[in-house]
Amino acid sequence: MKKYAYFPGCSLEKLALSYHLSSLETAGKLGVELQELEDWNCCGATTYFHVDQLLAYTLVARNLAMAEKEGLDLVAPCSACYKNAFFTNKYIKEDPDLAEHINFALQEDDLQFNGNLAVRHLIEVFADDVGAAEIKSKVSRPLEGLRIAAYYGCQIVRPRKNSEDVENPQFFEELVTAMGAEPTGFPDRLRCCGGSLIMTSRHAALDMVRKLLQNACDNHADVIATACPLCQVNLECYQQQVNEEFGTNLSIPVLYFTQLLGLALEIPSKSLGIGTELVSAAPIFSRFLEKEVA
Amino acid sequence: MATKPSFSTEIANLLYASHGNPLNTCIQCGTCSGTCPVAEFMDQTPRRLIGMINANLKEKVLDCNTYWFCASCYHCTVRCPANIDIAEVMYAIKRYSIWHKQYKEGLVGPVFSETFVKTIVKSGRSYEPVLAPSYMFSFGPKEFFQEAMMATKMMLRGRIPVLPPRIKRLQNFKEVIRRIIPMGGSS
Amino acid sequence: MSEKVGVYICHCGTNIAKTVDVEEVSRWAGEQDSVEVSRDYKFMCSSLGQELIEEDIKEKGLTRVVVASCSPHMHEKTFRTACERGGLNPFLFEMANIREHDSWITEDITMATQKAKALVKAAIERVVHHKPLEPLPVDINPNTLVVGGGIAGISAALELANAGYHVYLVEREPTIGGHMAQLDKTFPTLDCSACILTPKMVEVGQHPNITLLTWSEVEKVDGYLGNFTINVRKKARYVNEETCTGCGICIEKCPYKIVDNVFEAGLGVRKVIYRPFPQAVPKYPVIDKENCVFFQRGKCKACQLFCPTEPNSIDFEQEDEILTFQVGNIILATGYDLFDPTRIPQYGYGRLSNVFTSLEFERMVNAAGPTSGKVVLRDMKSQPESVAIIHCVGSRDKNYNEYCSNVCCMYSLKFAHLIHERLPDAEVYNCYIDMRTPGKGYEEFYHRLLDEDTHFIRGKVAEVTDAARSPDEEGKLVVQVEDTLIGMQRRLPVDMVILSPAMEARYDSRKVSQLFKMGCDFDGFFVERHPKLDPVATMTEGILIAGACQGPKDVPASVAQGSAASARVASLIAQGTVMMEPVRASINEELCSGCRICNNLCPYNAITFHEDQEVSEVITALCQGCGTCVAACPSSAITGAHFTNSQLMSEIEGILWDVKKPELASA
Repeated sequence: MKKYAYFPGCSLEKLALSYHLSSLETAGKLGVELQELEDWNCCGATTYFHVDQLLAYTLVARNLAMAEKEGLDLVAPCSACYKNAFFTNKYIKEDPDLAEHINFALQEDDLQFNGNLAVRHLIEVFADDVGAAEIKSKVSRPLEGLRIAAYYGCQIVRPRKNSEDVENPQFFEELVTAMGAEPTGFPDRLRCCGGSLIMTSRHAALDMVRKLLQNACDNHADVIATACPLCQVNLECYQQQVNEEFGTNLSIPVLYFTQLLGLALEIPSKSLGIGTELVSAAPIFSRFLEKEVA
Repeated sequence: MATKPSFSTEIANLLYASHGNPLNTCIQCGTCSGTCPVAEFMDQTPRRLIGMINANLKEKVLDCNTYWFCASCYHCTVRCPANIDIAEVMYAIKRYSIWHKQYKEGLVGPVFSETFVKTIVKSGRSYEPVLAPSYMFSFGPKEFFQEAMMATKMMLRGRIPVLPPRIKRLQNFKEVIRRIIPMGGSS
Repeated sequence: MSEKVGVYICHCGTNIAKTVDVEEVSRWAGEQDSVEVSRDYKFMCSSLGQELIEEDIKEKGLTRVVVASCSPHMHEKTFRTACERGGLNPFLFEMANIREHDSWITEDITMATQKAKALVKAAIERVVHHKPLEPLPVDINPNTLVVGGGIAGISAALELANAGYHVYLVEREPTIGGHMAQLDKTFPTLDCSACILTPKMVEVGQHPNITLLTWSEVEKVDGYLGNFTINVRKKARYVNEETCTGCGICIEKCPYKIVDNVFEAGLGVRKVIYRPFPQAVPKYPVIDKENCVFFQRGKCKACQLFCPTEPNSIDFEQEDEILTFQVGNIILATGYDLFDPTRIPQYGYGRLSNVFTSLEFERMVNAAGPTSGKVVLRDMKSQPESVAIIHCVGSRDKNYNEYCSNVCCMYSLKFAHLIHERLPDAEVYNCYIDMRTPGKGYEEFYHRLLDEDTHFIRGKVAEVTDAARSPDEEGKLVVQVEDTLIGMQRRLPVDMVILSPAMEARYDSRKVSQLFKMGCDFDGFFVERHPKLDPVATMTEGILIAGACQGPKDVPASVAQGSAASARVASLIAQGTVMMEPVRASINEELCSGCRICNNLCPYNAITFHEDQEVSEVITALCQGCGTCVAACPSSAITGAHFTNSQLMSEIEGILWDVKKPELASA
């Protein structure tokens, strides 16, 4: 069983608790052990980098150092946490001066970071380390006929981490296919949802949400799958506000890919945190849950 | 003889060397602005902002909303034909703007960011209810009502925490921060 | 006997004198051992400067000369000739480079002056060990190999053939003509491309001085300037060229069609036995073995059945042939590949069906092409009401190619014109970063398009999408771009998008450069000897380059280079022999142990072994003076003329003149 240091991030404590629950459930079923990092702290999101870059790197480094101490690679389910952790890891490795500053500060918490780990996004672990073929073989309730718009958003793929295809990634669609569902065409799947602007530049962010939802609906998606708590909250919880702001009538459930995967793996819906949505996912789940009831 | 660095040099200095090519390699092609999902809400497109930085138009740069409207989606960064990390440039101007307390009136971004940072420094984790005042007061009655409605619904579904979270080794955490910002945990 | 050295320090105007204290270097040089006279002068390369050397040789009896100035690439020949006129063997001269290696790389006068002294000292120490040498005459074989039958190669071949010299023209496709044969019109005059190209192709095909080898590739190149041995693989055509009349009945009767990804850029089809286009030269068809049903399944032979010639010209037994011949010079004109736009997924090529490449569009507007010149969408019937042409696809972009591809602005303008001509009501958008029209009549052509009401949008296109946001975008391709002149993001709904991809080096240009032992730049284009003054020569003597294999260029520039390369070759052939530097290796028989290590190391096969005496010998005519054997010889029996051990060791000691010897530990 492959083991990772799991960094849930602030959102998964409450706001995206269902992501947290479904991640642990599905990982367990796929033979991946997610050991929650003890006493992790906030990664600084995007805002910390607005104020002080060095401090932001230090906050991230504290989490990295704790994972390194465990001898595990770090896995983040949130795209922003992932991006911050990935690049902090990279820059500390490349820049000894930065490493020295940060390690000086980390001494206060009896920690040191040497750059001996890799940073992964949860969806990467599922798509690459477990693999679509393996997942497919474990799917016991294929989501036949379900049209899923696989939404990548920004920071899983951008900025470019290595030499991967940032304009035409396919791993999310492959996962959707492995669940037995059908990935819809979704031209805006890489467009930003405006998550980081929803508090500060509300109108702009709502407009971005509107365009994305519209694009998913135009492509006849039953549900949007996300791999980031910010995207999920933004695309789901703000649908009513979008409708009020723009006079639209958009209504489409937005679920975490782990929730959909959990459904396909026949994990009870309660354990996946189903039921806390503002846009009900019941119509989707009821299509597949007969067995569970029976 | 030391001279005061130009605005464009100051911004350049705020970027780590690993953050793309220098701004003066910009060929003003507009790929960034053509790509930007927020461009239509910006006073100046990202391309023009780079042009204005290169022309050292400090006041005009700080006075536009462009950089606070950047959603950090990095789409411009991956497409820039000059390999300029435009999203990181926006971060750099945000920091500059906060340090100099100079930004366009009525923007929520700077206050929100500072409040967010204070929350983390105090508890080690973020806590939405504390953040709300930083942006809620900028809303009109309609938006305020919408936001409150949504918060209530989410509270009912258990998606908003009642008590602020705290990390265990908070004292150590604060000492770590003090070593980076030597003025204490009050930042 | 001690030598009398004359030292001359050049100011090169201010190029050297502004950073190097030339007077001090000259004064100091005058104090060095063996130096008879030392002078500094404004321009040593001027007639007056050269005369200084000549007079000093005659009046002061100089036996050695050192000039400290620019690179030997520039003026070594000048000063050697001056020595010769003064009555001194030209190899008793040495040049110190105090410009490129010194004054141009620093602004520090003290350090530059110090380095100049070291370089001058090295030259003085070296030159006293020089030996008089005589240049070696090399005969130039009057035959020439031209590789690549595009417009550059055709131009080169015809110039030489018309001058009376024999040319082997090797082309890997079944016909000559290259990319130009695919084009419809040529900018800015809008000449019909085929109309101006095909007469030249015919001339090549019929020229008594040209041996045309199509469907052939160069496999091996041996030798050196004047005497190259070439091996060419002539791939089996499965058509006997002796008897085929080119009637084309076999093509007509062949029952199988496949998509033509080469000549028709995937837009049209061709038969399995085919001629890329009607005016192909030579006229003989070729069987595409990979797709031929007979070769795959052993049945069909329709072409053979209907071939009217006697004996039958279809020969399924034909095999590849290896031809060997001698040439004196080689001109490479291997052309370019078009950038593959699927590398930029956001432009949608291959995913959004109505996104086209420039070559697809060229074939489309060509009257002889798959749509008979009609501008249509991928369904091959609907006509677009609006078209966006996207410039700089894969060029001026550090993610792909940093260079400007030179021709795209002009051909994009040409496309806009051709669309206006064929679809007068269509809206045409040109999205460009900068409009680059630096050629005769080019800017005027741009103005013509402005008059024709083309919409010009200054901005590099961010993406092409089919995600509609408004009713007018439904069913359209949306081009998202910042109109940088108004500082606003725009979304242009259009029916058709044409990408203008960059010209890239051939995918195998690095392999080709190794085959011919010459250089490739970072982008894969062949490197010229000098970017301004020697654009068609390479650093390898006897190998010249022409056309787009050297860098992106248009038809007139390719023609000019093809002709220029031929002129260079013609002048060498006319001379008959050229004098080569006598920098050659020689083996001292007394010292040679007969170990034969050098025999196999020599890249030119210039060393033979005499079994009877058990010694190796260098064949001077074949030796290129590379020095490999000199370094490898375990008995130090091999000497490289003009690069002897004493010369090199003295040079090193000279350059380190001001470095203290390490103190020996006391015994």
